[in-house]
Amino acid sequence: MSSIQIQNVTKKFGNFTAVENLSLEIEEGEFVALLGPSGCGKTTTMNMIAGLEAPTEGAILFDGKDKSGLRIQDRNIGFVFQNYAIFTHLTVYRNLSYGLEVKKVAKPEIERRVRAMADRMSISHRLDQPASSLSVNEMQKLAIGRSAIVEPSIFLLDEPLSNLDAGFRAYMRAELKVLQHEFGQTMIYVTHDQIEAMSLADKIAIIDQGKLMQYGAPLEIYNNPMNRFVANFVGSPRMNLIDGELRDESGQLKLMLHGGAEIPLAGQVKSDFTSDNNAHSGSFGIRPQDIYFGSRRGDDDIEMHGVVEVLERVGPKRLAYLQVLETDFLAFDDQDQLNVGDEVRFFLPPDKSMAFNLSSGKRLGASVQ
Amino acid sequence: MKASPGAMALKYFFVLLAAAVVLYPLLWMVTMAFKPYPEWTTVSDLTWFPRNPTLQNFEFIFFGSAEGLVVSLDRTIAGPLMASLVTSVCGTLLAVVAGTLSSYAVVRFGLAQTLPLSVLQLRLFPPLAVMIPVMVMWAFIGAVDTWWGMSLIYGIVTLPFAFWLMKTFFEEVPVEIEDAARVSGCSYWRVFYRITLPIVKPGLATCALFVFILNWSDYLLALLLTQKEWVTLPVYMATLTSAMGGQMYGMKAALGVIAAIPPVVFGLMIQKHLVRGLTFGALKQ
Amino acid sequence: MTDAKTSVAPNESKRLGYWARVARDGNKMGFWFVLPTLLLLLFIVVFPLLMQVYLSVTWWTPLEGIPWYRAWEVFNWGENYWYMLTDDRFWGALWRTALIMIVAVPAQFFLGMALAYLFIDNFPGRKIFYSIMLTPMMVVPAVVGLMFFLLFQGTGPVNAHLGLPAEFSWLTDVNRAMISVIIADIWQWTPLMFLILLAGMLGVPSDQLLAARLLGGSNWQNFFKIILPRMKAVIIIAVVLRSVECFKIFDLIFIMTKGGPGVQTETISLFLYKQTFGELEWAYVATIGLTILIVLSVIAAKGLAVMAKKNG
Repeated sequence: MSSIQIQNVTKKFGNFTAVENLSLEIEEGEFVALLGPSGCGKTTTMNMIAGLEAPTEGAILFDGKDKSGLRIQDRNIGFVFQNYAIFTHLTVYRNLSYGLEVKKVAKPEIERRVRAMADRMSISHRLDQPASSLSVNEMQKLAIGRSAIVEPSIFLLDEPLSNLDAGFRAYMRAELKVLQHEFGQTMIYVTHDQIEAMSLADKIAIIDQGKLMQYGAPLEIYNNPMNRFVANFVGSPRMNLIDGELRDESGQLKLMLHGGAEIPLAGQVKSDFTSDNNAHSGSFGIRPQDIYFGSRRGDDDIEMHGVVEVLERVGPKRLAYLQVLETDFLAFDDQDQLNVGDEVRFFLPPDKSMAFNLSSGKRLGASVQ
Repeated sequence: MKASPGAMALKYFFVLLAAAVVLYPLLWMVTMAFKPYPEWTTVSDLTWFPRNPTLQNFEFIFFGSAEGLVVSLDRTIAGPLMASLVTSVCGTLLAVVAGTLSSYAVVRFGLAQTLPLSVLQLRLFPPLAVMIPVMVMWAFIGAVDTWWGMSLIYGIVTLPFAFWLMKTFFEEVPVEIEDAARVSGCSYWRVFYRITLPIVKPGLATCALFVFILNWSDYLLALLLTQKEWVTLPVYMATLTSAMGGQMYGMKAALGVIAAIPPVVFGLMIQKHLVRGLTFGALKQ
Repeated sequence: MTDAKTSVAPNESKRLGYWARVARDGNKMGFWFVLPTLLLLLFIVVFPLLMQVYLSVTWWTPLEGIPWYRAWEVFNWGENYWYMLTDDRFWGALWRTALIMIVAVPAQFFLGMALAYLFIDNFPGRKIFYSIMLTPMMVVPAVVGLMFFLLFQGTGPVNAHLGLPAEFSWLTDVNRAMISVIIADIWQWTPLMFLILLAGMLGVPSDQLLAARLLGGSNWQNFFKIILPRMKAVIIIAVVLRSVECFKIFDLIFIMTKGGPGVQTETISLFLYKQTFGELEWAYVATIGLTILIVLSVIAAKGLAVMAKKNG
């Protein structure tokens, strides 16, 4: 087990900056997901942690020590590749035993540990078969078992579930969580799937274009996104992000939407707006599940009027596309009471709303929950 | 992953050493070609680069005599160079045409499934073990020391390479493309000529260059089946001494350089496909 | 399915399905496609083979003016075969060929492997060095013979560099002639091994290699446990290829030593050449050639059978 400190790490490939000034603290035993769209630099970050790539600038410390001088072999890192990198020319047994063999562990000890791990990963019945004969699901288990058996100090997983079929993916997600508890190792997990990250990780680091956008516990990220990218990226269905022009009208800050509708913004946002002279245009954000219909629940709730354009069934609920002049709001039609073409009134509770500076992406009034 | 500086230094040491070993004989011959007589040997001194560089050697083999040389040559490089070119090119044409057509038939129509291996067998035996009947036949049909006789034998001995190389290229053409054309009414010949051949064009060029190198590099067959008129460059080079008496290192080296250039140039051009060609398509790079 | 353009009578095209016609027409054209190769093979295999069998049981030689088809006049009841078995020069040549194979092929293999290992990872200048490494095998073998002939002259650079006197001969020395020839062969054909083995090495999936390193295997361990086992097929191909070619070796030796001094570097090909042009014993050469043909064919068939069994 190790803690990891990533300090101001930058990685450049020629002129291309894959990772820019990234800092992260990962505590011992934590399960951290690196989440971001493909090409965002998350895999490069992981490769640097593993030592497969050297940072151009900055340092990565393990328990406070710099390991950059160590060869890959000596870093004691468990790494599960996206396509598993199973030794297809060896048997399942030899795959599991490889990490122990090369460390010259005694034969009986190897045998004991391989059998235990095979049992744990429920691939015992396949031990003597060539690894190439395994199914994708079994390969996944073997890949994890092969890395886990050498008891690495940290465990890195590169999109490990992306090749699996949907049913097994859900199962493996639960399994990974259990395994993490059992092994108790520091685990870092690269994924582009927010559901995976949300359900597995203790903390999520959201990365976009090589930069860290936000780092925190899943719920914190979900409830309190620090910027427009995170707000947009996390959550399903996506958060409503309505762009418009910010205007200060006699002390009341408003977001003017295209077509003429306006949304008054809560007072907290104002100080940020006035201090940020560039904030001429902004985004208003609210999650679909926070919009409600019917009668007003809070005094400050913003009242909007719109037309039901489309209704889409998402699981047990219906998702309504509400057109307000030229803008669309998404909301859940909880009681199946809407019809297409209805003119409806709906409310945006200000405590669930947020505003962003459109050009910088920064949350306005972010300090206030 | 950066290797440690020590490992890197060691690597460069070995790579440079290997490069030196490779270049040593080559360099000696190339510089020899530009050396005048006194520098041919190390008797007086060892010189890597000619102290008095000269084109005398080239002049001699091209014109049969050279300024400052008492000896002269009754037969210049012109004939052998021509012979090498003509027979190599014709042999290549024969091998590539026959190999292309038949490998296509094997790949696409599943015809003659034993053909690949029987063709391969041609490469298994030492030529000299099977040359007696060939020599008798060649004499019988008057093919000895003719351009077509040499082209014919070159075409035959390099056919396996052409066949197997083209086979791998055809195998890479998706059959769906051909089927699509066929369904839309193209005849077989049209599909082959208009669709498949253009797709494998780069492969065809590679194959032709590869086979040309092999033909150009031959020594033994020309030694056995030519006498005078159609003696090829390597044979001419090797016999230069015996014809003139005395050692003609410089001239031989000049001939060696000329003979070596085309295959090396072409070989480097088709570098990417060398593995495929040399292993009869068993391996691709 | 209907075919838009067809020369087949309509009732027939109805009887045959579209794909059946495809197969038939394909065969028709395929026949013409195979024909040139078939003709060449028949020309070079069937007739010469018959002639070789025929000549091998006679005394026939081009010297005495008997045309080859009347070779039956000197029929000798297979005495050539008996003579071959007791011909020391033949066995000597065979042994020397084997010796070259035993020394040169493994040397080429190990050198090629080591070189390939150097070239796995990218390094500055890799491309140019790679091209340099490949050069020897592209040089005309006869020219390679000339190159080493020049190098190993008493007054050549090798002696000069080693500080040996001009009297120290390589090509005319009983033992060193063979060494020189083998060195030349190694020089020319190590690149082939290098090329093939490197292709095989690069074929080992890099993520598996990385996984092996991450599991703590040293470069050495990973080489023997991951890379080498995966290269088995490639190694077999490379070694078989080189062995077959090495068995045929002629150009290099003929130009360097002409098989000399004496018969010190006389391989099977040189022996056959001298029998053909020196002694003009064509029937005897046919005998030996036929024997080699049969033995090699049997070995090849056996080898293919073993390979097929392993794959199947």
